[in-house]
Amino acid sequence: MTDPFEDLLEPVIPVDPDPRFAASLRALLEAAFVRPMSGGAMPTTIAQGDVVYASVWSPDSARAAAFYRTVLGWNVSDDGRRVVGLGQHLGLWTDPRRTTFLSHSVADMDAAMERVRAAGGTAGDAVEEPYGLSAMCVDNQGLPFALHHAEPGARSETFAQGEIVYLTMHVRDSLSAREFYGSVFGWTFTPGRVEDGWQVQGPYPGFGMQGGHAEAAVLPMYAVDDVVAAVARVRAAGGTATDPEQMPYGITSDCVDDQGLGFYLGQL
Amino acid sequence: MNQPSGVRPDPGLALLDLYEQALPQVYGYLLARCGQRAVAEDLTTEVFLAAMDSCRRGKVTEVGTSWLIGVARHKLVDHWRRAERERRGLRVLGGLAAEPEDPWDERLDALLAHDVLAELSAQHRSALTLRYLDGLPVPEVARCLDRTVHATEALLVRARGAFRAHYQRREEGTR
Repeated sequence: MTDPFEDLLEPVIPVDPDPRFAASLRALLEAAFVRPMSGGAMPTTIAQGDVVYASVWSPDSARAAAFYRTVLGWNVSDDGRRVVGLGQHLGLWTDPRRTTFLSHSVADMDAAMERVRAAGGTAGDAVEEPYGLSAMCVDNQGLPFALHHAEPGARSETFAQGEIVYLTMHVRDSLSAREFYGSVFGWTFTPGRVEDGWQVQGPYPGFGMQGGHAEAAVLPMYAVDDVVAAVARVRAAGGTATDPEQMPYGITSDCVDDQGLGFYLGQL
Repeated sequence: MNQPSGVRPDPGLALLDLYEQALPQVYGYLLARCGQRAVAEDLTTEVFLAAMDSCRRGKVTEVGTSWLIGVARHKLVDHWRRAERERRGLRVLGGLAAEPEDPWDERLDALLAHDVLAELSAQHRSALTLRYLDGLPVPEVARCLDRTVHATEALLVRARGAFRAHYQRREEGTR
């Protein structure tokens, strides 16, 4: 007599998942492969140098708010300073420099400020802000940034539309910039795919650096659900965007907003 | 990327190379057993990230699809355990006593069987899935569930009893 339970046998039948899921998992896996291991634990908590706040600096922040609201669906607070409703802390600020201002987490504020100064940057006084202890700094390329005292917290593995998935730092001299960030945050650098391009190991979210640029600036890649539709919105809102291109980690477009600030869109 | 030089390729790279080929296998395995796309995607993500973690810790001797399916089994069992913990208190499980093993000669309806499996406790569902859907020998089921072979045999007897009781009740209900 046969055992009826034998009927349940179900050999593995391969099923292709949603290609978008497949692409985003591949990107996660690649990120996990290059991410440094720390203390033998799963790398899921905020580490020194992680970006905990990012702000779009442009000559007219109200105009920037309107642009990114249209393109990314950002919900901007009444004072025009904060993007609300996202898992990441993002903001906007009026400044003649066109860049993305980053705030990096550090465990020991005094020690980090000393490292900034020793590496050829400047660090202002640490100030107790409503959101925590913070110090305004400038790196050795002239890029403003902040140190923020933060206890270990969660690193999200997924990104909502409008959140930053990757940051690219353009600098004049990549050698001195690498020395600066290497000594301040302990980041390490491996050659990337483009001329004088460097993949940065250490920070979250993913980070790249490229030398040879006249103006230092940080360019974000924003997550979008549908890059083709987002490219159309960029163009309609007065910006420029290249046609979407399939990269190993997702579909991307290189864009410039209506005030000349560069950014990328990524459907991962 | 800078790879340490050595005779053996980096297992993390091997996993990235295997990804396209292994993904439909792992996803297909999980989807057929949990039946929900979102859950299958979450578990697939867990499988590959855990696999990468093991690769990077140097814990892996051979990166291959059958190893990944093994990881997927563990993730599936963990998932059911977790889901049951969340449901506990909302659902009263019928206190099914261990029934003596008696012959049951019937052809099982696959769709109904899947529904019935989903009604069982996490332990019973896990044991039956590994033993019968996956066709694993009892010692391997025991290893997956982190139990002794003897305890697993006893669990399988109880799980079969529970399955049969649910199955027959469902059959009567549809007549």
